[in-house]
Amino acid sequence: MVKRHHAAGYTLLEVVVAMAVFGLFLAILGVLTVEMRSQEKRLPVNFLRHPQVIVVISKLRRDVQDAFGPNPYPASFAEYTQTPQTLIVQSVQPSGGVQTIVWDFRTTGVVQRHAWNVGVPTNWTSRGLPAAFQVDAVEIPATAAKLSASPQQSSAASRRPWGVRITARDGKGRVAIDQILQPRAHE
Amino acid sequence: MRREKGFSLIEVLAALLILTLVITMSLAAFVERNKRLRQASEIILAYQALANEAEYRRRIDFSMLDAAPQQFVSDTSVLAPLTPFGTAVSVQQTQLGVKNVTMTVRWNNGQREAKLALVRVDTGGSNLW
Repeated sequence: MVKRHHAAGYTLLEVVVAMAVFGLFLAILGVLTVEMRSQEKRLPVNFLRHPQVIVVISKLRRDVQDAFGPNPYPASFAEYTQTPQTLIVQSVQPSGGVQTIVWDFRTTGVVQRHAWNVGVPTNWTSRGLPAAFQVDAVEIPATAAKLSASPQQSSAASRRPWGVRITARDGKGRVAIDQILQPRAHE
Repeated sequence: MRREKGFSLIEVLAALLILTLVITMSLAAFVERNKRLRQASEIILAYQALANEAEYRRRIDFSMLDAAPQQFVSDTSVLAPLTPFGTAVSVQQTQLGVKNVTMTVRWNNGQREAKLALVRVDTGGSNLW
């Protein structure tokens, strides 16, 4: 009498089915990863979803919108000068006084706001920000007639250099933040 | 009668059906999430361009609003990831001394759009912006 050998393990069919299901999972994962990667490549990092960035932009907007005086952007103040990484602005306060504010973007990933109110300085710092913040002056034509030429072509005399343009790029150099801010009229 | 171990055909089919449902639902949820994240990122870019254009449009004299270009005059480089995209500006007088300036960005072959409307009031000559 031949003793039947009892083999432990899986049949070929079971292994093939298991591999097919696993392969299906891998294929789905691969397709989704490729889709996500293509999306990441196309769009810049969405910095405006980050609370720290939102706070910086909000404070900056308020300071620029409340810019006041015949020259609200002095060329220098204390040890600071106007540069693409430094913005100096004189801004009116709710109480009516004018304070000088320096936005300092020189340190990578850090933004500092220094405010001098009747000579008394206060400092505010925000961290974890995009590396490439930049401040530019933007000159906005005052009339439609001047707008008929492109902003670059219209004469400098016809424009008032009151606007501030804030840009920030993500790690791959794509523009992620681009905001033009202008002072509002104050009576 | 020999006692067979294993699953019946019905059991295997039921298991496969449940597995298929779970995979399909997970996949659909993931794809929808991705789509909404992409749309949110696109909208944020579009609204930055719209807000920048609004800063230009608020500086145009009230009487000259209708004659201004019907495309964006501000720099739209922030919209580069949405290429090809289109911009449009329309002006409508709603009542005497009041005009609605509507700015629009369209992308994804016109299937997606973002709009921002600016109400301009004739302040009597002073460029109150």
